[in-house]
Amino acid sequence: MGRYHYVFPRWTNFILPTVLIIGAVAPIYVVYLVAYGFSTETTDVGYMPTQPVPFSHALHAGELGMDCRYCHNTVEKAAHAAIPPTQTCMNCHTQIHAESVKLAPVRESYETGNSVLWRRIHDLPDYAYFNHAAHVNRGVSCVSCHGRVDRMEVVYQHERLSMSWCLECHRNPTDHVRDPDEVTNLGWTFEGTKDEKRQYHEYWIELHQINPSQDCSTCHR
Amino acid sequence: MSSVNDTTTGRAYWRSLDDLADTPEFREFVHNEFPSSATELVTDADRRQFLKIMGASLALAGMGLTGCRRWPEEYIAPYAQRPVDRIPGVPEYYATSYERGGVAYSLLATSHEGRPTKVDGNPDHPIAQGASDAYAQASVLDLYDPDRSRLVLRNGEVSNADTFAAWCADQAPRFRQASGAGLAVLSEASSSPTIMAIRARLSQSCQQMTWAEYEAINNDDEMTASRRAFAGNAYRPRVNLHDADVIVSFGDDVLDNHPDSMEMVRGFAKNRRAMDPDHPNDTSHAKKMNRLYVFESGLSLTGANADERHALRGAQLAAAITWLAAKLAPNDAMSSSAIATAESVLADDVKATLGHAFEDLQAAQGRSVVLVGRGVPVPMMALAHMMNERLGNVGSTIVYRPLPPALATDHVGSLRDLVSRMNTGQVDTLVLLGGNPSYTAPIDIGFNEALKNVRRVVHVSDYVDETYLAREANAPSDRDDWHVNRAHYLECWGDGLSADGTYTLQQPLIQPLFNGKSTLEVLAMLAGDEMTAGQDLVRRTYTEMAGESDDKAWRSVLHDGFVSDLTPQTDIPSVQSGAVREALTTFVSSVQGNPDSFDDNGWEVIFALDGKMYDGRYANNGWMQEVPQTISKLTWDNAALMSVASAKELDVDNSDLITVTIGDRSVELPVLIIPGMAAKTIELPLGYGRTFPGRICTGSGRNTYVVRSATGMWRASANVSRSQGTYALATTQDHHAIDVEGAGGKGAQRRIGMLVREGSLDEYKRDPKFAKHRAHVVHRLSLWDDNHGIKDAKHAWAMAIDLSACIGCSACVVACQAENNIAIVGKDQVMRGREMHWLRIDRYYRFGKDENGDWDANKLEVVALQPVSCMHCENAPCEQVCPVAATVHDEEGLNVMVYNRCIGTRYCSNNCPYKVRRFNYFDYHRRDAHREQPGTLLQVDPTYYTDKQADPGVLKSMQFNPEVTVRMRGVMEKCTYCVQRIQKAKIDAKNAWTKESEDAKRTTDRIPIPDGTIKTACGQACSADAIVFGDLNDPDSRVAKLHKHDRAYEMLEELNVNARTKYLARLRNPVDGKSIDEGHGHGHGEHDDHGDHDHGDDHGEGHGHA
Repeated sequence: MGRYHYVFPRWTNFILPTVLIIGAVAPIYVVYLVAYGFSTETTDVGYMPTQPVPFSHALHAGELGMDCRYCHNTVEKAAHAAIPPTQTCMNCHTQIHAESVKLAPVRESYETGNSVLWRRIHDLPDYAYFNHAAHVNRGVSCVSCHGRVDRMEVVYQHERLSMSWCLECHRNPTDHVRDPDEVTNLGWTFEGTKDEKRQYHEYWIELHQINPSQDCSTCHR
Repeated sequence: MSSVNDTTTGRAYWRSLDDLADTPEFREFVHNEFPSSATELVTDADRRQFLKIMGASLALAGMGLTGCRRWPEEYIAPYAQRPVDRIPGVPEYYATSYERGGVAYSLLATSHEGRPTKVDGNPDHPIAQGASDAYAQASVLDLYDPDRSRLVLRNGEVSNADTFAAWCADQAPRFRQASGAGLAVLSEASSSPTIMAIRARLSQSCQQMTWAEYEAINNDDEMTASRRAFAGNAYRPRVNLHDADVIVSFGDDVLDNHPDSMEMVRGFAKNRRAMDPDHPNDTSHAKKMNRLYVFESGLSLTGANADERHALRGAQLAAAITWLAAKLAPNDAMSSSAIATAESVLADDVKATLGHAFEDLQAAQGRSVVLVGRGVPVPMMALAHMMNERLGNVGSTIVYRPLPPALATDHVGSLRDLVSRMNTGQVDTLVLLGGNPSYTAPIDIGFNEALKNVRRVVHVSDYVDETYLAREANAPSDRDDWHVNRAHYLECWGDGLSADGTYTLQQPLIQPLFNGKSTLEVLAMLAGDEMTAGQDLVRRTYTEMAGESDDKAWRSVLHDGFVSDLTPQTDIPSVQSGAVREALTTFVSSVQGNPDSFDDNGWEVIFALDGKMYDGRYANNGWMQEVPQTISKLTWDNAALMSVASAKELDVDNSDLITVTIGDRSVELPVLIIPGMAAKTIELPLGYGRTFPGRICTGSGRNTYVVRSATGMWRASANVSRSQGTYALATTQDHHAIDVEGAGGKGAQRRIGMLVREGSLDEYKRDPKFAKHRAHVVHRLSLWDDNHGIKDAKHAWAMAIDLSACIGCSACVVACQAENNIAIVGKDQVMRGREMHWLRIDRYYRFGKDENGDWDANKLEVVALQPVSCMHCENAPCEQVCPVAATVHDEEGLNVMVYNRCIGTRYCSNNCPYKVRRFNYFDYHRRDAHREQPGTLLQVDPTYYTDKQADPGVLKSMQFNPEVTVRMRGVMEKCTYCVQRIQKAKIDAKNAWTKESEDAKRTTDRIPIPDGTIKTACGQACSADAIVFGDLNDPDSRVAKLHKHDRAYEMLEELNVNARTKYLARLRNPVDGKSIDEGHGHGHGEHDDHGDHDHGDDHGEGHGHA
């Protein structure tokens, strides 16, 4: 023992460099972590999986001008804007491109009764309960959340779909509310002056008593 | 523990006997909501392993960051052809029904994307009226029971349904050729007209066939009594409690264990509120209330709700019935001697109560009813018919439905005949249609032993159960056996008659999951019927009964679920005077012949249902195992229930094992002390101790059928002795006790009188606001700002629970579990106080005092029941302490729990004065609550962290309600006021409103949701209509009116939390009108003068300014 009793042991020499390294790395790590949290990789904006059938919204909803609700016909009645049954595809495709190779999975589904397994793009967490009907009936257009689907050859996720993104609109819905007759008109824009535009939106906000709730219970159950 | 001298408190309510005795265990539960939480499943040896796994998963998760997507890819599988009007995500409802004990119950089943997820009462059906019971609520879980039989077995080898069908087609002509000789059918009770029709056809071609019917919970005695009273005719009495002002029950548990319980509860509750529905707050209308006298041996729910109750042994019960009958039939020659004999053996207090009952009955001619239940001699049961006739009740409070012979089978008799035929070699082929006779048959009949004399057994059952196993053990070498897996009622077609005889249909909601066959399909195959598809068979019956056959009528009947036109007429039969004479004579001679029978020398055993297992068929249902029995608060087990004095005599305490011997058979089981039972009487609940290897039922309780013989189906004398050892029982009675800070165990007791408030009818008339005067609200100052956000909201959701109406049946608890994806946790976790029920029913005892003025646990006066769930306080204490704002208020007044924010500190639960928050200690949904070995506690599987996570139990999760988040480990949860139903109603109302014209839209600034649109799951299930939910901002809503009612009070109002749930104080109607809250005015320390001075309406402010 002796005087060595008062000397720090040898291993303590490593403490200082370790602390310094951690001190230097930690801010980088935090910055990276925050940046990663906000990156598109996390929010999945632009997520564009390959679907079993190369269905083109640009062709159907854009070029051919089909209304969104021809296929997504439950959007005004239910929480889900249901993916159409195979039957809906075959309404036309028994006549048009009836032999197309690309449509083989659809014909197979029609014959066997098994589903076409579409990859889910707009995927909210299981504890978030979004209701399409509640929004569409009161004049929030499809385009507000899904972007210009009528121009998408392959559908991708256009918005962040994060909670803060939802709340942006719930806090200030004015610009997103329009005449419910125009909700599926994705290219619609208001023609007029800035003041007239404001009055237009305010008219619908007031008429439909739109005062979106920011309560947790609105979406989480 | 017989008496405790406690002069410091004035309250006479106690949570349990442990509470009364203030044991260390009770103090621990009061002190610590979740005791023993330090002892975890990870033992020291496992901890290292656990850390290794966690380290590895962390490393993997880190590497996983480079993956392309944060969460797994999901798929959408749309229909190939969507059925007309089917909207994905919107549930559909179908009318169906199920049978229990030969009575059909009409249901409305909810289907989410083809998965039945919940059943409720059919709102259009005259009996169900939308309400249901715990059995019905739990029955949906049986559909997804992983232990259900999935295969057709032939001689124990795997076969299939087609081979069985071919075998049937081969055998059916042979049965006919032999005129049915050698063929026997043993069926569970069924009222199905289709089965009756096939049976009639079959017995035409096979005259020598034997048809037996057996249910362990049968009404043989009632039928015998009816035949005696009504010249050989079998009637089913239909009692209308709504019109009965005086109800006298001798051991008849009509409110809980009776085929008509739902109707009984509804009728009873209507007369308990002392309220005119049109003038809910006008006490001048509050004059009338029924009075319930109960004389019984155990402590049933009916007894717990009685105004006057006496616990009597069997012989005394018979004497009491005879006394009342003789008084009501004074002209009979035997009357005076019967009265004298009965008076010589009855105690003075019982005689006094009987006298009051007699006077009340006389005064309420035509508006009263006398009920006699099982477990008294048959002649005494016949007397009930006479008493009701003399009182002019027949036709008003009681009507009689004539029963065809097929519905009035003598179960024990027919089983005994069958067994003797089996033993004499007259049975070659035995067809077992449902039921589980090897488990439930009277033990002295020898059913199991007789099985070896039968060459072929066709066993149609939901499970590979005790009967199957008994056959395996008793099979001859030349056997040719079949086991057919039966379809669940939600998988197959069927029909039945509800209690009033209404023709009720059962339609499937899903294809049989395991390709099972229904009872009637198997029967049709064996009978060689030209049809074998369930729907064809049922439709043929309907067509024959209704004389209609077009598709439109059929579809409309399926939509309704029942055919009211086919309800049979009721009859008004007259009682044979001979039956009365016989009963009185029997009684007098029995007493004279054996005067000792009235002494309390011998032990008496009563067999009873505990409202959970029924006859044992719900034993593998986790919801029913875990729902606490209302009186005993016992989960996962049964026990020998006995009074404090009985336990003292045996020198046993809770959990000590005793041996009960009846004849030469005995059963060993633990003791659970229930005050207020008759002297030296032991109640043995049936339906436990199943021996088939179900993962839920294995090891749960003891089989009490092994001591139940044909001569003592309901009551028997027994020898009882103490055995060695103890058996741990999981009771929830001391869990979640609400205490006064710093007062220890006594603190809980001191508060009870303020939590559950009761008053007599007289007191209510004298002081309509008596409930508000029970507690001190010292001041209304709040530490916090008022919750401003909720003041301008469009809706203010609230609940009112009428304690006067609630009888404590627990249907709400199970309904909540079904609706809200609430997990079961297993016995081990319940013992740690971790049960997850969002809604609990608190049960308090109130005792009288002994001659020294001490509280006496032998003198049970009142049982108080109180459903408690989250009160949705406006100033919620839980919200103040959550560090991550996981529990916050929404503007409509809901105290919401945000699962994805919760980090599991459990601070909220610590700070909740009502103890209504529940914490997920484990991923209860992802592991099976099962026993590793029989006999050990039900507990967490050690492989849970590794293997079980990967297998979330697909079958069980099919029951989940997709509208409610399935919570995971580490998350707090609690009652949400069924927020998913609120949101659905709001969105539906708004969507409909947007379609209106612009002018219509401008007329209102509040999108209306009509009162009654939103029903919480608990309120929907409640047959007493005790739970009312609605919007306080709508002044005409029922809940707003009830909140302003005189009887309304807020639990723990003195904490100034502004609870949104209010209670309406319980009213009782005792004979002398004595105040229920006798001790009131003492023990409040400085507020001793409370009872005397005049209070203003706002009680609290008076003090605040003082």
